[in-house]
Amino acid sequence: MRRPGWRVEPAAAPRADRASRALAYAPEDGAFSLVNDYSEGMSVLAPGGPDPAFDTPWAVWRTAAGAARPHALAPAPEVEGYGVFTFPYGPLSMGVPEAGRFDVRTYGERVLNLVPVGGFKSRRVRAAVVGQTVVDAALRVERLAGNFSAAHVAAFLDAVESAEGRAVPTEEWWVRGLAQELQRIYNHVHVIARVAEAASQNVGLAQTHALAEEVLRTQGAVFGHRWLFGALLPGGPARRLDPTDRRALATRLGRLGDEFERLWRLFLESRTFVDRIQGTCPVARDAAVEWGAVGPTLRASGVAWDDRLRIPVAPYTDLFLPLPHESGGDALARVATRAEEVRASFLVLEQMLERWPAAGAGDEPPGSAVAPGRGLGRVEAPSGDLVYDVRVAAGRVVGLDLRSPSQANWPLFAAGMRDAVFTDFHFAFESFGFAFAETDG
Amino acid sequence: MTALLGFVLTAAVVGFFAGAALSVVRRDLGYATALAASVLWLVAAVGALVAGPVTGPSWSGPLGDAESLSLDGLSAFFALATAIVWVATSAYSLAYDDRPSPLLAFCYALTLGSIALLVASSSLLLFLVGWETMTLASYGMILQAHGRSGRVFSAAFVFLAFGEASTLLVLVAVAGLHAMSGSFLEVPVATAGALASIVFVAALIGFGLKMGVAPFHMSEWLPIAHSSAPSNASAVLSSTLTLAGAYGLFRVISLLPSPPPVWWGALMLGIGAISVLLGALFAAVSEHSKGLPAYSTIENNGLILVALGIALIARADGLAELAVFALFAAFYQALAHAIAKTALFLSAGYLEHGTHTFDLNSTHGRAKDADRAARLGTIAATLSLAAAPPLAGFVSEWMVLEALFQSYRFSAEWVQFVGLLAGAAVALAAGLILVAMVKFLGFSFLWKPSATGPTARARGLAAPVGAVGAVVLAVGVGAPWLLGLITPSVAAFAHTAVAAPVGSLLSIPDGWSILSGSPFGILSPPAVPIGLAAGAAVALGYFALGGGFGARRVEPWMAGSPPGCDGETYTSFGYSTGIRIMMRSVLQTREVRTGTGAGTRAELATPVSYNVDLEVLDVFKVFYDDLVRFGDAVAAALKAGIMTGRLGQYLAYILVVTLVVVIYVAAAA
Amino acid sequence: MASWIEQSVSRGILTSRYPKAAATDDETPPTGRPPVPESPATSLPAARDRCPVGAITETAVDQGKCIRCARCVGAGLSFSGSVEAATRSRSDLLRISAGPTPVPDGAPPLAGLGRSLHLFLVDVGSCNACNLEVLALANPYYDLQRLGIFFTNSPRHADVLVVVGVPTAEMVEPLRRAYDALPAPKAVVAVGACPISGGVFAGTEGLASALDGLVPVDVYVPGCPPTPTAILDGLLKLNGRDRETREGRR
Repeated sequence: MRRPGWRVEPAAAPRADRASRALAYAPEDGAFSLVNDYSEGMSVLAPGGPDPAFDTPWAVWRTAAGAARPHALAPAPEVEGYGVFTFPYGPLSMGVPEAGRFDVRTYGERVLNLVPVGGFKSRRVRAAVVGQTVVDAALRVERLAGNFSAAHVAAFLDAVESAEGRAVPTEEWWVRGLAQELQRIYNHVHVIARVAEAASQNVGLAQTHALAEEVLRTQGAVFGHRWLFGALLPGGPARRLDPTDRRALATRLGRLGDEFERLWRLFLESRTFVDRIQGTCPVARDAAVEWGAVGPTLRASGVAWDDRLRIPVAPYTDLFLPLPHESGGDALARVATRAEEVRASFLVLEQMLERWPAAGAGDEPPGSAVAPGRGLGRVEAPSGDLVYDVRVAAGRVVGLDLRSPSQANWPLFAAGMRDAVFTDFHFAFESFGFAFAETDG
Repeated sequence: MTALLGFVLTAAVVGFFAGAALSVVRRDLGYATALAASVLWLVAAVGALVAGPVTGPSWSGPLGDAESLSLDGLSAFFALATAIVWVATSAYSLAYDDRPSPLLAFCYALTLGSIALLVASSSLLLFLVGWETMTLASYGMILQAHGRSGRVFSAAFVFLAFGEASTLLVLVAVAGLHAMSGSFLEVPVATAGALASIVFVAALIGFGLKMGVAPFHMSEWLPIAHSSAPSNASAVLSSTLTLAGAYGLFRVISLLPSPPPVWWGALMLGIGAISVLLGALFAAVSEHSKGLPAYSTIENNGLILVALGIALIARADGLAELAVFALFAAFYQALAHAIAKTALFLSAGYLEHGTHTFDLNSTHGRAKDADRAARLGTIAATLSLAAAPPLAGFVSEWMVLEALFQSYRFSAEWVQFVGLLAGAAVALAAGLILVAMVKFLGFSFLWKPSATGPTARARGLAAPVGAVGAVVLAVGVGAPWLLGLITPSVAAFAHTAVAAPVGSLLSIPDGWSILSGSPFGILSPPAVPIGLAAGAAVALGYFALGGGFGARRVEPWMAGSPPGCDGETYTSFGYSTGIRIMMRSVLQTREVRTGTGAGTRAELATPVSYNVDLEVLDVFKVFYDDLVRFGDAVAAALKAGIMTGRLGQYLAYILVVTLVVVIYVAAAA
Repeated sequence: MASWIEQSVSRGILTSRYPKAAATDDETPPTGRPPVPESPATSLPAARDRCPVGAITETAVDQGKCIRCARCVGAGLSFSGSVEAATRSRSDLLRISAGPTPVPDGAPPLAGLGRSLHLFLVDVGSCNACNLEVLALANPYYDLQRLGIFFTNSPRHADVLVVVGVPTAEMVEPLRRAYDALPAPKAVVAVGACPISGGVFAGTEGLASALDGLVPVDVYVPGCPPTPTAILDGLLKLNGRDRETREGRR
């Protein structure tokens, strides 16, 4: 069994300047697409608007709100043949506990083609927030994908603050970091639980599920809300982060971290579990780079790339952050990457609670606006790079766009499932950590 | 009484030939005469089973033997089975055959007549006459397929070639029997020996060719069914031509000395088990509404061989009780299959009439609103072939399996092992054939229609299907009594008095249950419908007391998507692709892709499409194709190398042969 | 294998005693409880304008609209209502007060449903938080199977639709299909502010205003999202096995 060690990016790799996120940005026509440039170590915004060849909902970070719904989330070849038919799975199935459909093209048993179809649960957030105050808009943004709420709010607020040129106290950044790392642990543990469920590892499922619940309760205890709604907003539920509470939290997290170590070791010893996900739904490095995969999906395919290391913001500038990555590209590699990231997050949290900044420790400078009143916010969400593009005027949102990690990874899932068998579906799907909620918006 | 039956018998056989002659005048007249003759044939068969052997007028044969048309217990059984089939197919043909030419009707009646002749013949020579006529007449039937193409001709030719190979081997068997008994009459021979074994093997392969068992299944059904032989012909061929093969095999074995060497039974058991497995496997992956039943025929004929093989081994081991039970199983299997398969082929014809296709992918549920008789008949036939209680196929398959279970009693360990493997093959086949039958039924008559296209009803075609379906049910439920009826057949085969394996259990009346061996398994077919009826009575009572029928119709649940989303639903092909992939080592499954492929981001920038076909292969067809090619090559080499046409070379051959003969004679002297 | 057993045994029993015992604080963070006014006459008018979803009027707090954003906390309201805030009627959601029995007269249990319930989860446009809270009921802390409640994979096998999310135009038809596929007697539980009132998304074009305009709703579980305990309470109110009814019987 492969045991990935900690890998730290060489110190020589320069961290991109925070303002350089707007690299080669052409704001005049308001249209741009997101292109990964790994020489720069991150994706950049390419000028000139969407590439007409990719003018499809899945490949382009669209400025226009909403494509026709429901719509395909990944392109796929047309497949015909004797006995070939389309098998719609969803939008209501317990196998995928979210409203979304998969059109499986098959001659039975084997997946010739799989098209994720989204748009069923679009709450029209991008349109609804226009004209609202930033704080009211944030209530909707954090409910865009409840299990990724901290990442979405952090990216949204970053974008707003960049647009407004407003500095934010350092401690606030640390609170955002704390919330995001907790939620990353929850989501990764949840993914492992879902994969264990698909593999009928019932004891493992129960134990992992219990651990996920304990993380939720920890979030509830610290932030007053199990899903961190309102936790990062002014006027939200009380958060308890005085030194006593931090010590209590450190003890609690230490226990959870030990618990996770035990569980992950047991999973790696379960041959049935490992066998089932090894080689399932492979994503080759080339494909991951070509399609612009993000997050654990990208890192599991051999590209060590993480926004937290690339974008110099508190608290990560002051912490040691391991960057686990794998080379297999299969479901096992993705699950293993997530597991290592859980350990990394526990490590980060430990450091954070030790070095918590004193109140009034100063402010963090905002990112530079890409245009007057328009800012970008980027964070490494649990499933990968999340980008917000927000336009504000007089404290109100006048435009909002986002490119979620799910959106970036759908084509890889679709490509990996080609020529797989039906039974691989759940292992493959769960290993990516998708949310239709953030794709549909 | 017996004399009257003898007259009826003769009238029946003559009637079939008369039907052939009359069909030239008028097609309907031929079929009607065949129908009448079939009824007489049925009367004679039942009469012979109830009242003992029936003999018609006799005459002196070409070699001085006293020949006659007669039915003893053994032939009476086969007469009974064929008669039931023919009554249905003849009635069906009246509505089915709308060809301008009377050739199909002529060949049809001639086939029936020749099968009747060989079953009723008292001498092996007459048997051979019937056998050869049957081969030629059925060849003629196959040629009458709709849309005659090169494929039909080649299929018919393959059929004829294997038919003649079969005749040659049967000739060998008959010659061997004559050598041992000195007579062409059907008299048992007593002396065992190498000659008896040669006769056995020749008969097993010769008649096996006609039964279509593996590895000779290429000979019968695959090419014929795929070339769309007329459905009435398919039914006659699949149900009764194979019965004729079975009859020949039963007859020859009954004449051979007993107890036989144990390897006879083991060989037969092995061939049978392989046939069962291959037949079921190919049936499960067939998409052709007549190819599927045809492969199922291979499976069922394999089951007959399995049961007969067990009987021969048991006889060799002195297990008299098991031998008799296995024989009953073999006979019942033959009966159950013939009837159910008739219904299935007639149903396929009905389906073709309504939808103009044999492709199960495009008949998808289109016959759901068909005539009720056709639907019910097809349901009974498919469930019977899938061995669902209480139908005929269930009883016979239960009996075969019970016989197989007792293979632990065999003395030789290797024979026990063969029994074990055969049991595993039969069990696996039972699962595969269930897939096949659910597929046939579901994608034709049962499931919600999704394919579009014309469907037409035809009461004249539906009625025979329904009637045969009813017989399938009756043969299942009435099994304990029918086993009693065919006891003379088993007795005639075994040359001893036997008792039907029926008895009593708990409070079920005596004679209502089938017993496999005195302390072994027990089954009461009549109890099943009685139990079902009791359950229905309880339910009806509940409703009568005010329960009311809470029937509710809702659309199928498709995970929230509209049913038949984009007009597509599971195809018949998709239904059995799992088997194609699982059994790829046997089926040689391979995927053929044409068109642009992979689907990288750059490629997918423009629409990409390709075609995918999943193909399976019958390895035996490949083998025979290779054999033919090899034969052609050898012939060509001989022609080129030896038969050069040069006079000098031929004179040299003669010289060499003369020298060899002279040396041989000199040495002998 | 052996080590998994060791792991399970070493963790001991995690399962909550709810509904036999009251919900613990660990199960229920502050936002798990409905906000109730400390003194309605003065608190409500003061807090009214703070509410981003218009849940607070001069006279009452509409718990069906409340998204627990906590803005009213500190203006005379506090998260001190009972976690067992699920009601059988929409109007009862306006009558929740502080104290152990939030609604004085609970409607009778639904006729025909036995003790065991089979649930089918229907997401009509949620943020996933409610989905995950419903699924969390299966974890060892809540273990809803001990109460004879099970998840099914098809509405054909279910008694109860558990609906989460604000109904989008795209999900109206799938929801109807699921409801039609449910055998009678059937029940619908609306989980969270979204299906009850649209929650934070209320009033957006393309979204239905409430679930009970689409299918009849039998139990309303307020919250954003409701905690697993609150959802459990709602499910048990369907067949009269909830704490409140138990206490009443006693």
